[in-house]
Amino acid sequence: MSLPSGSPEREVSTGAPPQLECPSSPTGLDPDPLSTGSPVLSPDSSSHDAALSAPAASPADSENLSPDELELLAKLEEQNRLLEADSKSMRSMSGSRRNSGSSLVSSSSASSNLSHLEEDTWILWGRIVNEWEEWRRKKDKLLKELIRKGIPHHFRAIVWQLLGNATDMPVKNQYSELLKMSSPCEKLIRRDIARTYPEHEFFKGQDSLGQEVLFNVMKAYSLVDREVGYCQGSAFIVGLLLMQMPEEEAFCVFVRLMQEYRLRELFKPSMAELGLCIYQFEYLLQEQLPELNVHFRSQSFHTSMYASSWFLTLFLTFLPLPVATRIFDIFMYEGLEIIFRVGLAILQYNQTDLIQLDMEGMSQHFQKVIPHQFDSCPDKLILRAYQVKYNPKRMKKLEKEYTTIKNKEMEEQIEIKRLRTENRLLKQRIETLEKGQVTRAQEAEENYVIKRELAVVRQQCNTASESLEKAQDTIRELQQQKYTEQFVTNLQTELEQSRLREAELQGALKEMQDKVLDLEKRSSCLPDENNMAALQEEVKQMKLRELETLRSFREMQDTVTELNQRWQHHMSRGSSTGGGGGHWKESPKKNAMNELQDKLMTVRLREAQAQAELREVKLKALQLESQNQIHSKLIGRNDQERSALQDRLQMLANQNKALQAQLSEMKRKQAESDCKSKEDVMAVRLREADSMAAMAELRQRIAELEIQKEEGLIQGQLNHSDSRQYINQLRDQIIELKNEIRLMRGQKATPSSRVGGVGGSTNYQDLCLASPASAEGDYLSSDEDLLHSPLPANALYPSLSGPCHPSPRLDSEGSTDSEAEEQVRIHPDPQQLYGSMVCAEGLEN
Amino acid sequence: MEAIWLYQFRLIVIGDSTVGKSCLIRRFTEGRFAQVSDPTVGVDFFSRLVEIEPGKRIKLQIWDTAGQERFRSITRAYYRNSVGGLLLFDITNRRSFQNVHDWLEEARSHVQPHSIVFLLVGHKCDLEAQRQVTRQEAEKLAGAYGMRYVETSARDAINVEHAFTELTRDIFALVRSGEITIQEGWEGVKSGFVPNVVHSSEEVTKSDRRCLC
Repeated sequence: MSLPSGSPEREVSTGAPPQLECPSSPTGLDPDPLSTGSPVLSPDSSSHDAALSAPAASPADSENLSPDELELLAKLEEQNRLLEADSKSMRSMSGSRRNSGSSLVSSSSASSNLSHLEEDTWILWGRIVNEWEEWRRKKDKLLKELIRKGIPHHFRAIVWQLLGNATDMPVKNQYSELLKMSSPCEKLIRRDIARTYPEHEFFKGQDSLGQEVLFNVMKAYSLVDREVGYCQGSAFIVGLLLMQMPEEEAFCVFVRLMQEYRLRELFKPSMAELGLCIYQFEYLLQEQLPELNVHFRSQSFHTSMYASSWFLTLFLTFLPLPVATRIFDIFMYEGLEIIFRVGLAILQYNQTDLIQLDMEGMSQHFQKVIPHQFDSCPDKLILRAYQVKYNPKRMKKLEKEYTTIKNKEMEEQIEIKRLRTENRLLKQRIETLEKGQVTRAQEAEENYVIKRELAVVRQQCNTASESLEKAQDTIRELQQQKYTEQFVTNLQTELEQSRLREAELQGALKEMQDKVLDLEKRSSCLPDENNMAALQEEVKQMKLRELETLRSFREMQDTVTELNQRWQHHMSRGSSTGGGGGHWKESPKKNAMNELQDKLMTVRLREAQAQAELREVKLKALQLESQNQIHSKLIGRNDQERSALQDRLQMLANQNKALQAQLSEMKRKQAESDCKSKEDVMAVRLREADSMAAMAELRQRIAELEIQKEEGLIQGQLNHSDSRQYINQLRDQIIELKNEIRLMRGQKATPSSRVGGVGGSTNYQDLCLASPASAEGDYLSSDEDLLHSPLPANALYPSLSGPCHPSPRLDSEGSTDSEAEEQVRIHPDPQQLYGSMVCAEGLEN
Repeated sequence: MEAIWLYQFRLIVIGDSTVGKSCLIRRFTEGRFAQVSDPTVGVDFFSRLVEIEPGKRIKLQIWDTAGQERFRSITRAYYRNSVGGLLLFDITNRRSFQNVHDWLEEARSHVQPHSIVFLLVGHKCDLEAQRQVTRQEAEKLAGAYGMRYVETSARDAINVEHAFTELTRDIFALVRSGEITIQEGWEGVKSGFVPNVVHSSEEVTKSDRRCLC
């Protein structure tokens, strides 16, 4: 709505003290308040006459006055007379007192002796302020009447504080502290500051003193009352207070207004109080201005359109400031009642005009005409306001009504919400039902679907249990692999051993090689046995050859001796025959013959000798040859031997190579088995994850089924008990499913812990003990002995590795439950042991 | 006494505090711009005639609402009887843009069983230098809600007429196509006097009601 046009100026410098001083100076006042009081109190006599309560109140008040007060009043009267006598001094006094913004003061519009009356009013108000408690107690009605006439401008600061009981508030001391803090509403407040009384001198311009103090007070309040914080509209009230008093005081009065004057409720985030005020106002409107009310309704001109700002800003944004300030004076004393009264008075005053207007017209009228109707005569408005019938009891009753209506509304709203959702659900249901056309058929279909789903769930359950079994298998495998691990370690030790052996062999080889070398060396100088035989043979041959040569030698000697003999014989025969004469005749011939014969003989001898020598040489050559042969043979044999040794060497090297190959093979195998075991572990984990997923799926399926069940239930309610049986059936199925799931979950727990056992345990015994520990139920109890058995691992082993008959301790137990344990003890093979355990579990399942 | 108008549309102007709702309406209805105006406490009311086609005039009743959240308890009551709305945000105030969704939710939840044709308005487009919301993102948001988007400035009188007439045209088209019907007890759309029109509109209302049930 439009801005208030009046801009009363604020006495920035004057706080409370100068105003308090004022009543103390004048003395000797009018002693008779009854005779002269009335004119003094009501400068506008016509309005005074019209005022309903005042004439009745004043006499009643005066009767109760004490002698002291009567005296006081007499003095006041006296003073009044004195002042009247010296009007000049009064004028100067009033001139110094009065401010330019005197339009605020009610008496400003009065007649020529206005200033005179004004002075009197001030004196009276000075007394009131000075003797506040007394006035409050004893002359309350008179005070009320005086306030209705308007509090003089200069007294507003103190009177408002007194009326609000805000003079001595502890919160005042906090004010400076509050200014140092920062408020969450700061930004919002800052935005509205420039928009509060933007045309008023005090608040004009950015960063003006007015804007600053207004911001301070608003911020301080938003910190004091976090629930309300800052509400648009409240700044106008604070602004008005700041036009009259310093910020600390304004803050205190505002706090009081919020706390004690229903303003807090009005400005609360819910604004419930505003709704109540509107409701109460509408009631008054209906009661007192029924025609206008009908017109408003027909034009759908809501009360909240014009009245919300009346209540929230106490007419400060609706009426010009001088008028609004007058209303505010009364508000400070009487509370929100005056707002109702003034509001109704305004409507009453404008009823005839408004009834002729349509919505836009009314709106314009409210914006343009009404605010300035009472610019010159605020008393008229106030007078009219007091003619409005206002019954506080009735209002209280209305309040109760309103709260019950509101509560009902709230309940209804909740109910509506609920019904809406229900309606939606039902609509959905109808849709689905319509879709199927025949409900039964659909039910049957649904039933079928559910059954199928159940079957699917069962199947899934089966598959899950299968996968569980598989997981157990893999666990077993893993355990076996644990065994293979052991095997691997065995292999490793074997490998080491073989390496050692290999090293030994290599050592031996080297030795052998050395030996071979040695032998080769020796063989060069030592004939071996083979050689010996060959040599003996050779020796025999040699002997034979020697004998032969000896024989030939003898032969030769024989021939030589024969020759010699023959020679001798010849010699002798020659001499015997040749000695007689003829002989001599013949002798030269014969002599040469002989001589030749001799010579031939010696040649022959020499020849024989040479032949013998030759033979001897030949023999020697033979001997040498044979010796040569022997040597060559020896060399050949040595060569042979050497090649044999080399062969052997090669063979050994080959052997070595083969061993190394075997070694690498083993290594590879080991790596392979390592890999495989890792893969298997991964596979088990994967399978586990799969089965977990399956579990989750199953759970979801159950949730779905439950939802379907609920839907079925609703449907059942719809179709009465028709499908109750079916729902029960479904419920049973769901319970069954749940049981199955629980079972599965139980199974689930086992494999997971098992996998953990495989990963975590370091030896076979741990595994042995860990897996039954995670088993559940009967099986666990049956294995209790084994589980809690304090037998150390090595104590368990001897019995395992020992002869295959149960130990006496087991005999003594003798129960069938301990069969598994027996098996454990009987079979040293871990694989078998696990097999038996899984069997036991399988039985349990 | 009144200029002839074909229909009367009720519009509501919503948006965060200080986005310039009152200034925009004042610019549209009074043709002036006030540098400062006091915050709206509760609801204010304005009206103006708009000629959408030659000879076809629409009367607009415009509700100005308080932006502060706690006033929603008052403003809430005005959604129901509105056929159209301007959802304002301040292009220099990102927060006000972020709150657009809340405003829309608030309006939608209180307008039932009717609906409001909204126009998204980015206000204060003269303050280009302080812009915090780009035209693109605003257009995107408007598109997501199926609204038009217009950028206006009450100070420089940019697009103010355009914003109101566009919204009026949209509503008029919907009324003509029968998607929006005149209903008894609903103030959103009212027909200009001619008795038969009123009569026929009542029929429409009745048939419409039957459909709703």
